[in-house]
Amino acid sequence: MPQPLANVCSTFVPEQTDGKRCWHQGCQEGVLQLVSPQAGGSAGHSASRVFHLSRKVTSIVPESCLLILLGLVLGGIVLAVAKKAEYQLEPNMFFLFLLPPIVLDSGYFMPSRLFFDNIGAILTYAVVGTLWNSFATGTALWGLHRAGLMDPGVEAGLMDFLLFGSLISAVDPVAVLAVFEEVHVNETLFIIVFGESLLNDAVTVVLYKVFNSFVELGPAHIHATDYVKGVASFFLVSLGGTAVGLLFAFLLALITRFTKRVRIIEPLFVFLLAYVAYLAAEMVSLSSILAVTFCGICCKKYVEANISQKSRTTVKYTMKTLASSSETIIFMFLGISAVDTSKWAWDTALVLGTLFFILLFRAVGVVLQTHVLNRFRLIPLDRIDQVVMSYGGLRGAVAFALVILLDREKVKAKDYFVATTIVVVFFTVIVQGLTIKPLVTWLKVKRSDHHKPTLNEELHEHAFDHILAAVEDIVGHHGYHYWRDKWEQFDKKYLSQLLMRKSAYRLRDEIWDVYYKLNIRDAISFADQGGHVLSAAKLALPSMPSRTSMSESSVTNLLRESGSGACLDLQVIDTVRSRRDKEDAAMHHVLRGSLYKPRRRYKASYSRHFISPDKQERQDKEIFRQNMKRRLETFKSTKHNVCSSKSKARLKEKGRKKKNISLTKETPNGKTQRNIPWQEAAPVLVMVSSEEEESDSSETEREDDEGIVFIARATDEVLQGKTTPGSLDVCPSPCIIPPSPTLAEKELPWKGDQADLAVYVSSETTKIVPVDMQKAWNQSISSLESIASPPGTESGPQHRRFVCPVLEEGRPQSASHVTPEQSSCFQFPSHISRSGRSQSDSSPDGPEQQELQPLMATEEQGRMPPTVEPRRLMFHRASHL
Amino acid sequence: MVKDCTFFTRKEILRLFYRYRDLAPQLVPLDYTDKPAVTLPYELIASMPELKDNPFRQRIAEVFSEHGDGNMTLDNFLDMFSVLSEMAPRDLKAYYAFKIYDFNNDDYICKSDLEKTVNKLTRNELTPEEVSLVCEKVIYEADVDNDGKLSLEDFQHMIIRAPDFLSTFHIRI
Repeated sequence: MPQPLANVCSTFVPEQTDGKRCWHQGCQEGVLQLVSPQAGGSAGHSASRVFHLSRKVTSIVPESCLLILLGLVLGGIVLAVAKKAEYQLEPNMFFLFLLPPIVLDSGYFMPSRLFFDNIGAILTYAVVGTLWNSFATGTALWGLHRAGLMDPGVEAGLMDFLLFGSLISAVDPVAVLAVFEEVHVNETLFIIVFGESLLNDAVTVVLYKVFNSFVELGPAHIHATDYVKGVASFFLVSLGGTAVGLLFAFLLALITRFTKRVRIIEPLFVFLLAYVAYLAAEMVSLSSILAVTFCGICCKKYVEANISQKSRTTVKYTMKTLASSSETIIFMFLGISAVDTSKWAWDTALVLGTLFFILLFRAVGVVLQTHVLNRFRLIPLDRIDQVVMSYGGLRGAVAFALVILLDREKVKAKDYFVATTIVVVFFTVIVQGLTIKPLVTWLKVKRSDHHKPTLNEELHEHAFDHILAAVEDIVGHHGYHYWRDKWEQFDKKYLSQLLMRKSAYRLRDEIWDVYYKLNIRDAISFADQGGHVLSAAKLALPSMPSRTSMSESSVTNLLRESGSGACLDLQVIDTVRSRRDKEDAAMHHVLRGSLYKPRRRYKASYSRHFISPDKQERQDKEIFRQNMKRRLETFKSTKHNVCSSKSKARLKEKGRKKKNISLTKETPNGKTQRNIPWQEAAPVLVMVSSEEEESDSSETEREDDEGIVFIARATDEVLQGKTTPGSLDVCPSPCIIPPSPTLAEKELPWKGDQADLAVYVSSETTKIVPVDMQKAWNQSISSLESIASPPGTESGPQHRRFVCPVLEEGRPQSASHVTPEQSSCFQFPSHISRSGRSQSDSSPDGPEQQELQPLMATEEQGRMPPTVEPRRLMFHRASHL
Repeated sequence: MVKDCTFFTRKEILRLFYRYRDLAPQLVPLDYTDKPAVTLPYELIASMPELKDNPFRQRIAEVFSEHGDGNMTLDNFLDMFSVLSEMAPRDLKAYYAFKIYDFNNDDYICKSDLEKTVNKLTRNELTPEEVSLVCEKVIYEADVDNDGKLSLEDFQHMIIRAPDFLSTFHIRI
């Protein structure tokens, strides 16, 4: 979490001064330049390192606290230099540039399904709660004022206080969310707080605008009808804004459907249309915030399906960056104005009264609403949840921005309000933000089950889900989910067909296409980096958040393990654990990897500064990991069969060692390892593999860099792949990628589709690795090779000998398959490959051959279509030999 | 009368009845006062498109049907839903869950039962060794009396320990 934050912060520190100057001139480019993520990239690195060191700090202190402190420091500097605060937050800038990114981010990353499931509670808390808070606070403060407890300098009527109440009631639970994520509170609480945070900004701003117009009219000119109008306009503005948002979401989805040839501007469309939605709603004076929020919520599904993977990533990160940037800027203004005491007008009664009332009314509001809501809720929110929700009412950037935007001419007591708001924001963010985590721990808020569930629980939970789903289906009663199902049907029938590309639409039908895609991508990256990056990426998987820092020993341990290709499974390689624990973990992994989820399971998480891979992705990865592991095992074991006698002896030794701990039959080669991951984690094996690994560690490490480059380009090529059929025939990639049918795959129930899938896979993969990738490819192979088998000078010729029979066998078959035209396109860039091969000075011709052979063997049991290409490759390679 | 045996209100029962009838309008008469002996054949339930992917469809039908053959009467139909309703006591739910797992109806969940479950849940993606390892672990975890199989008591004990069993194992009306 601290890293993205640090980046964001540092993005703005160096830019501060000139950026501000630009704003002062009202210069739009200034903002854009400031907001552009590249601007502070280099500075970001150094700063992120600092933040990296202070990981401990950020785990205790919430981000918003740090931001405010940063703002204070900056404000102090600015004040010391300029003697007076030059910079002010201006309404236009805030509403046109700073607010939209924040709101769009919230909307776009909202887990829409969970949101709509809990929409009742969320709407209640966001709308009713906010209304209640603002009215109650406003009126109570007004009462305090009337009672003469306040300084007479506070010139404010009821309207002013209501206005103040509306802006101060903007709860900003970002800090709370961060804490929640860390301690893993239960999901219900999480989604409610989360949903509230998304919507109440919008409600607050709408309310604020209504009151602001009232105040500007002046209390004397307001008639009874105006109040009615105010209420009516509240609904009109909100619903109208929502409608505009939906309209633009539709447009956006429709446009992205046709951007296949102009991938580069896809992200632009996303931002542009969301922004246009904002402006359009603003123009007709509807709620622009709601427009953007709902545009984000609704378009996401279709946009994500339509745009390319790269664009998706771009959109994701740009949006996060923009939102964090805006927030940071606002907090900095907060810090600057907090330092500048000339803008302050302190009134103790007002400040204390406000603090007291917001806490009180928040608590009262939560309790009352929960009381009502619990009547309709399946799982009632208990008292502790309520306490946490009440206490989590932090006030944030939006409140401050709104108060600073008040017009001093119209709102006489603005200075008082500003001071009060600053104090409130400081108090809530710092005091409450710091204490909420201990509070959550102390109250023992129902955590989401984070302990590793026992196998039983895991198993039964799945079984129950299936059983429930079955009974629901039999009875035909979808109760709670009835409308969602209806909507989904409508969506599937009409909307998706209209708004999604044909290919995307088809993909959605066959989840396994996605699975294969993932598989391919990961396989390439894996093969390319000898497993290092893949396993390193697992480090970041949120499934093991406890592992924030790995001890040195376990890292090297891991590198060896994964380097040997034997174990891709990180959870298995925990540092020091008893054998039973390891077995447990391994079993969990085996089970979880292949349990498939029934349709009713989903989970959401959200943080403004942190993107977590979504559930589906993770699930796919798990399954993939499982399969990949198997594949590698088969690959390895078959390879070891043809290895030199020396390594065979070694393997026997290995096998003997293994026998001590293995449960399965004793086959003295790699096969014993198959599918029993905990064995691989056993210390004995680590030693054995490290023996081979040590000599090559430097080499594999060096190649890591190239591997990354390779991936980046490879995905690039996917986009253009279709137009370059020439590359189809050159690349040797299919030999590794068409998944060799593991046991699991052979038994898959959807085996009927296998032919289709196979074709799909092969064409896809051939696209991925074009001619100029040869070098990287060869290196990767050689790295894999050198890891897997001990390098020896005599191994080269032997490999060749062993490969020969396969070649002979492949030749006649391939002749029948390959048309003359096809074979004529084929050209094996031997010089490149040779240069690449020189990287591994052990076996001159061995690597590719060896790589191909075992896979060929498995390939032949499999499907027909993809086998054509590998065979052809073999054929041509043979001629080169 | 039926109301006494289930946890439903009259309205809910009527709604379930219409659903039941919808499944086979030609078989089920609208008038149910004289209790015709109508059963819904399992094939009808199995052929429902929503259930195509569900690994437990047959087992559920078997457990809740009177003769264990998967054919359901209206009472069975109501029972099934009743057990899964919010109002049903936890022990009852645990009992039926246990029965669903107990494939060979010997009142114990033994290894072969578990293997079936695991295979159903994983769509046969695991190798036999893995499955058997998993099952051993499961039994080892939950087997209190160490007899190598799970009795109903073992099962209940385990279920009660699982915190959100109650909150997950029911259908909202």
